[in-house]
Formats: sequence, C-alpha cells, structure tokens
Amino acid sequence: MTTESPYWNPRHETMARDKLEALQVRKLRNLIEWATAQVPYQAKRFSDAGVTAEQINSLDDLKRIPFMTRDEWMQGQLDHPPYGPILAAPEESAIRYHLTSGTTGKTPIRVLDSMKDWEWIAEMWCYGFWGFGVRPSDRVFFAFSYGTFVGFWGAHYACEKLGCLVLPGGNMTTEARVNQIMDMNATVVCSTPTYALRMAQEARSMGIDLANGPVERLILSGEPAGSIPATKKLIEEQWGAKAGDTAGMTELGTIMMFECDHQPGGAHIIEDHYIEEAIDPETGESVAYGEPGERVVTSFGRGFIPVFRYRTRDLVLKVPGSTCGCGRTFDIYEGGIRGRVDDMKLVRGTNVYPRAVEAIVREHEAIDEFQIHLYTADGIRDEIELLVEVPDANVDAGALCAELGKTLAEAHEGLRFHVKQVDNESLPRFELKAKRVLDEREIVGGQGERKQA
Amino acid sequence: MQNAIGQDLNPAQQELMECYDRLARVLGDQSDELAPFEQRNALKALAALWQVANGLDMDRGQTYHLGA
Repeated sequence: MTTESPYWNPRHETMARDKLEALQVRKLRNLIEWATAQVPYQAKRFSDAGVTAEQINSLDDLKRIPFMTRDEWMQGQLDHPPYGPILAAPEESAIRYHLTSGTTGKTPIRVLDSMKDWEWIAEMWCYGFWGFGVRPSDRVFFAFSYGTFVGFWGAHYACEKLGCLVLPGGNMTTEARVNQIMDMNATVVCSTPTYALRMAQEARSMGIDLANGPVERLILSGEPAGSIPATKKLIEEQWGAKAGDTAGMTELGTIMMFECDHQPGGAHIIEDHYIEEAIDPETGESVAYGEPGERVVTSFGRGFIPVFRYRTRDLVLKVPGSTCGCGRTFDIYEGGIRGRVDDMKLVRGTNVYPRAVEAIVREHEAIDEFQIHLYTADGIRDEIELLVEVPDANVDAGALCAELGKTLAEAHEGLRFHVKQVDNESLPRFELKAKRVLDEREIVGGQGERKQA
Repeated sequence: MQNAIGQDLNPAQQELMECYDRLARVLGDQSDELAPFEQRNALKALAALWQVANGLDMDRGQTYHLGA
C-alpha cells in the first residue's frame, strides 16, 4: 500500500486545514514547553513577552512570540561561543555539526544535531523526493561537495532511507560527474540549478546527449532559480527530465518546501513540521495570500535548536494548497523563494531584482553564463552592465545583446543595461550557490539608498 | 490505542508504537546492561521509530536523555 501512495505521509499531507492548524498549535505548545524548560535564553524571551505554552490556543497566538533575527543568532554565538545560548540538549548528544554557507557574507551560523534530529532532517527530504516521484528503484546522483555546508547531506540520507541507490558525487570534476551519471544510469540528479546547467554545458562539450540519457528527474536546491520558469525550462530541455525545486536552510537543517510532481509553479510548505508566515518586512504585519512578503519560520522538528519566528529575509508569495491539483492541503510558495529582501539593487532610482534579470536572460538559450555588474561611472553615476557568454559562433551575439538590452530596459522602467559579450569560460562557475551580482559601486548608502545621477 | 488528536491507530501502527515504547524503556532503564553493539543499534532504531511516532501524532517528547 505504502509504495502506491503519492504522499510520504498521506494523512498529514491531505489533512483538512482546520485539523492541520490544530496540529500546528499542539506542536507549538509542546515546543514552547520544551524550550522554556531547556533553554534559559528562550525562556527569558518568552517571559519578557509574557508568553506561556498554556496561552497558545490558536495560530494567532503565535504572534505573541517575538521575531528572532539572524543578527541576534550571530550575536548569541559571539557572546556564547561556539553555538550561542540556543542549545536545548548537551553538546555530547550531537552527532552532526554544520555551518551556513556564508551567502550573506557574515559570520556563519553553527548548528548541531542529534541522532533523532538527523533522522528528522532526512525525513523532511523524504517528503520532497517521494512527492516528486522518486522511488526505491531510482539511482540518485549527488553533485555535491559533502562539506560542512549542510546542502544535500540530508537528501543523501533520505535517499538511503527510501531505498534508492545513492551515488555520491563529491570531490569530482564536472566531467567526471557527467561520466558517472551516464555510466551508472542515474535516474535522478541532485544539484543547484546553476550547476545543473553547468553539467549540461560540460556534457555538450563532451558530445554527450543528456536529453536522451537515463536521467528522469532533477532535484534542485540552494538557489531561487529552481522556480524561475525560464531557468527551469532550460534545465528540463537540456536534461530531458523533470526538474523539481526544493528550499531549505542550515538554521533548520533541512528543507521546508518541495515541488510535487504536479509542478504547480511553486513548492508546498511542509506544514505538519513548520509554521511559515509571510510578513511585510517593514511593519512585521502578516500579508494575505497572494501578496509578497518575508518568510518567517517556526520549526517543530529539531529539538536540539528550537526555532521560533525566525526572520529568514527570503521573499515569498504564499497561495493556498488548493491551487495545486495534487490533493495536498499544504500551502504553496508560488514561484518558490523569490529572492532575498535585501537582494534588490537600486540603480538610478529603479529597483533591480537579480531574479527578474535571470528570468529574462534565461529566455535566451544561447547564453551559457552571465554576470550582473554594477559600477560607478565618472565618479558620480551608477551603471549596470550585463556580461554574457555566447559560445555558439553561429549565433549573432551582437544582435542578441541588443535585443536583451532592449527587453531588460523595458522591464525596468527604461533603465539602460549595457549588455556585453565576454570571452567564453571567463565568468565564474558555481557548484553551490551562484553569486552573479558583482556590485563595485563606490558609495553604498544605508537601506539600499544610492546617490542619484 | 489513540493518538494525540483522538484518532485510533490501526494494528500495524500500534505494533510500531509498542516497538518504540519498548525500545525507549530498555534504553532508559537497562542501557547499562547492553553491549555497545546492542545499545548503539537500538538508539539508531529509536531515532528512526521516533519519526513514525511523530508522523502518527503520538507525543513522545524528545529523546536526548536517552542518547538519541
């Protein structure tokens, strides 16, 4: 019976919303009780806010708990090294140590997990793999470096739990990875969206036709691009496979959302293990379905580090689960993670979101790699240029750049983008999270403010 | 046997919960009688079965005091 279910946990994934919310309230109460008893730092936060477990009777009561920011977490680590005052269990109970990837350029956050928590971390990935159609008969290749960044670690253990054949692709060149995917007839490949494209490039240069190869599914994570339609379409075409987005974070240890095999244009939130709020980043007030907001997460699974109302800075747009035909009641983040609250660049008064630029660039399949470069011209004026690699000599790169510049300007209130072709393989390549924005402007003001031309 | 929201478990689910509860009891009360291979494998099993208990809405609390 189990193998025929399209759901990892059928009862929870199809639970009526009122029952699901009751489940969340009960788990929230338990977690507050646990954290109050075990973590003096959390107990003080609750006490200062006048919150007790008994007072939590509905999801509205969640709002009584103060937000926690990454800055607070990092400050806690600096004040109480190495983990901060947030552990609910003794360090000797831990079996895993991981670090954030450092995308934001600040002090990495260190986390610990026990045996039970590590199983839970894999469990969350199981929702995603199973929901996207991965089954025990699959052979799953991980294009992942297996370091202290948690990345696909939990996914690896999830696939072992599912009974898949796991093909660990750490410490390998891109060429060697492509070869192993083909040699081992991998049916599933896990990577970042950027690296999926990189492997496709490499395969082309090796004369390998991936689109007619064994891979049926790609599980993407680590970057918003997995839910950018043009990027996903490009990946699916180049691999001849379905691509499913997931998103997680080291602060939780695992994923909190996954795309099901109905591919509704977004990812389901694993709501039996998390409460995910979307708020106005300025006011902190909740936003309605269909309105963009900042993700705020409360996680029930990792008892070692209870997380309450953590402000992620991720931009999301939540819609009801009923907008997907898969039968899950779990709400959806339409378009996945849409970027970061602080991703936006203000260029001569115009907002530029890297994700929006990528969505346009990826409409042009001839472009292999790109970089958004911001600089100061003549000491006073912000400029933005897009550097692109167009390896196919048969493509009229000049015309392509002109067309792209026009499309970008039209999408950005007439802002002029200088689109330039650069030498092939001259732009950086990425295995983990891509960093395609290079901001070399001379004066950076607060809150994204820039001097105007 | 009912879960935390008053739903009955089926016989197979009940058996799994009984396994979990027995494992937790042995690891809590008789851990010092176990050889390393017995204790560590039992902890691994407990960590996995905790996921079943959690998914079935059986509130079994945390496992750190048992070593998992």
